[in-house]
Amino acid sequence: MPAIRTQGLTKTYRVADKKPGFVGTVKHFIKRRHREIQAVKAVDLTIEPGEVVGFLGPNGAGKTTTLKMLTGLVHPTAGAVSVLGHEPFKRKAELLKQITLVMGNKQQMIWDLPPMDSLHVNAAVYGIEEKEAMRRVEVFAELLGLDEELTQPVRKLSLGQRMKCELVAALLHHPKVLFLDEPTLGLDLNAQTAVRSFLKQYNEEQQASILLTSHYMADITALCPRVVVIHEGALLYDGSLEGVVQRFAPLREVKLDLAAPVEDAVLNRFGEIEANEGRVARLLVQREALTDAVGRVLAELDVEDLTVTDPPIEDVIARLFDSGNNKGETTP
Amino acid sequence: MTPTPRITKAYFNAFYALMTTYRAEIFFWVIATTLPLIMMGIWVQAGASGAFEGFGSVDAARYFIGVFIFRQLTICWVIYEFEYDVVSGRLSSMLLHPVNPLWRYILLHAGEQFTRLPFSILFIGLSLFIFPEALWGSGEQPGTWLPQGWRVLLALACGYLAFLLRFFISYTISMLAFWIERVSALENLNYMPYLFLSGLVVPIQTLPPALQEVILWTPYPYILWFPAQLIAAPPEAMPAELIARGLLTIVGWITLFAILQQALWRRGLRHYSAMGA
Amino acid sequence: MEYRANFVLATISSLASMGGALFALWALLRTEYAMNGWSFNQALIVVGIYTMLDGLQQTLLAPNRQQISEFVRNGTLDFVLLKPIDSQFWLSARKVSVWGVPNLFLGLGLIVYAASFRLEPAVDAANYVRLLVPLAVSITIYYALGYLLSTLTIWFTKLANVTHAMHALLEAGRYPVAAYPGAYRAFFTFVLPVAFMTTVPADVLLGRGEFTWVLGGLVIAAALLVAARLFWRYALRFYTSASS
Repeated sequence: MPAIRTQGLTKTYRVADKKPGFVGTVKHFIKRRHREIQAVKAVDLTIEPGEVVGFLGPNGAGKTTTLKMLTGLVHPTAGAVSVLGHEPFKRKAELLKQITLVMGNKQQMIWDLPPMDSLHVNAAVYGIEEKEAMRRVEVFAELLGLDEELTQPVRKLSLGQRMKCELVAALLHHPKVLFLDEPTLGLDLNAQTAVRSFLKQYNEEQQASILLTSHYMADITALCPRVVVIHEGALLYDGSLEGVVQRFAPLREVKLDLAAPVEDAVLNRFGEIEANEGRVARLLVQREALTDAVGRVLAELDVEDLTVTDPPIEDVIARLFDSGNNKGETTP
Repeated sequence: MTPTPRITKAYFNAFYALMTTYRAEIFFWVIATTLPLIMMGIWVQAGASGAFEGFGSVDAARYFIGVFIFRQLTICWVIYEFEYDVVSGRLSSMLLHPVNPLWRYILLHAGEQFTRLPFSILFIGLSLFIFPEALWGSGEQPGTWLPQGWRVLLALACGYLAFLLRFFISYTISMLAFWIERVSALENLNYMPYLFLSGLVVPIQTLPPALQEVILWTPYPYILWFPAQLIAAPPEAMPAELIARGLLTIVGWITLFAILQQALWRRGLRHYSAMGA
Repeated sequence: MEYRANFVLATISSLASMGGALFALWALLRTEYAMNGWSFNQALIVVGIYTMLDGLQQTLLAPNRQQISEFVRNGTLDFVLLKPIDSQFWLSARKVSVWGVPNLFLGLGLIVYAASFRLEPAVDAANYVRLLVPLAVSITIYYALGYLLSTLTIWFTKLANVTHAMHALLEAGRYPVAAYPGAYRAFFTFVLPVAFMTTVPADVLLGRGEFTWVLGGLVIAAALLVAARLFWRYALRFYTSASS
């Protein structure tokens, strides 16, 4: 049985089409008008136990709505969804005890108390025996490098420390399926690395499935052999991480070591100039025009060396997101 | 899911710890709820005139000390908490826990009730210092204040039921937060009848009998007047029939509001999840 | 819409609140209880003045009071201190709110109704002019007390609710001080000067105001104003030296 399976998963929001102001409200009250917004369109997705899947797409593409349908917070308009054999929107305790949702911009721990207090509450709520719970806390704390942070009020912790504690709380019950929405958002590089290797280890030890969204490509490249790309509510791509490059990188990078500097106007004829600094120039060339362009470059210019590479995956995804009018929040 | 004793205990421990970190604010909230002690002054003075039959100044002092005690026990702010949870989206995280958030709210209040306790005792002590007659009786009304043990126990039980009643009225209104933005603005519509019909400013027993009868059908007098009377009034003023009627009414109102709340909760959740949680 | 609905709600709750106060007064005075010489109709004036004062403070004082603690919490007080204008003045006269308007008019309405139609003989029109002095005293006391307490938030950021506590104690002003026993009367005259805020203005309107009480009110208001000023200065000294 797959950990997650959706078929034709669809969510349509009905939004009140109301003019602002008092008159608009009265009109709306008398004659209700609604617009329909399709947030998620017929998504088919299957995730096996132990799989780690990167869930990519620009803001507003439907990632959060999909995660909320998978966790049962949002009721699908159409389609079937099953998580560990349950329909999540029934919110059965049996399922809730096997999944977790971590949102980087929201916190579940009690703000004015040390994380330890929240951990005791979670241990009770999920019915984990006290001794066993404390053993798990110790193991997680060790992996994440947490110590006295657990006994200081949450509000006094740094963002990174807080997210680490948040993960301890969210994984205390050893969930089988993890939904992680931007878990590394705003963290410093050290904390990002720590969170990443922690998740990797958890996945290997517990054979848990993870569905992860992140704006930080390093998270995706480090954790996710498989990637799913969603755009305007529909799945664009589902496959290996390398495949994304093939599919979404129509451009290749040609690096030239020239005998003498060449003017932009000349280079322009072979491809889009990425950089032209003295005797080193970098061009972006369409995949299908590559052979032709390289041939012409070699024939017309005095080239000492020429290399062709794929652009880094970060740039590929960033471009993809930019086309979906995203602010392009990627780390270099 | 209904919580196990262990969950209840864990919630209580955490929320009591949480509330003690707010003890300074809570002290000022206790001052902000000393209206019964102000009203005690007015009615002790009025009772001394002898114009109210069976309600002399000693009765007035005991009655309002009782009202103050149950006022502290029945503080309820769930509507503000719930409104925040819905608007901020914090409710979504709570819904992923395998326990109904209702228990969380009830135990948050329990944590606050215990934090208030020492401050309440302080103010009760102060009142008894100002009106020692409440304890020892006066020339016109001799006799110490020593209610029967079972009445005290019953009053405490009723006091907690009274909290649940007030909680469920407020929590029912809170459910409207699923549909409207600032639900706490509606709380005043509940607070006003509570203020004037609960016995907080007017002792119900001093009103004309017909009016008393009307008020006793509403839920409000059972929040303060009823438990306060159990410890403050002479036994003959609270006969068994009246106590039985009170218990039935209080349980009836709690049941009614709890059912209404559950129905609204289910519909509200459907709306909430349709809107994107 | 939201705004209008809230205004309707505020009006309903003001009406209910005054209705409740009248009910409480009626319950107290429907028997032969004399309340130290205050008849029901005379006590109506006290309720009216309390309601009007509450409306005034909701309109002019409360919105500014809330802002002080917000400024301290967010650390934006620094910007206020940089302005070339007196900080206390700027913080006190920054905002007005409409939520107090229903109370203001209800209170005024009750005063005029009781003074012209209920009282025999009706109140002398000149007394309305005389009322202005004790009324100014009472709003000044309200302001100064509120400012004193708000200043505390410079040290105790979390105590945004101390003014709620003050407001709750001032509810004692719905009744003339004469209705309270001796210990309360002393407290409400010398510690928390509620007596000067509602009873003294009501006495003046009823034409039985005593010069010493009006003068006493003026002295207390002036003293509190000076105290609020000095305390604010002191708190700012602490604030600037602690934050730098």
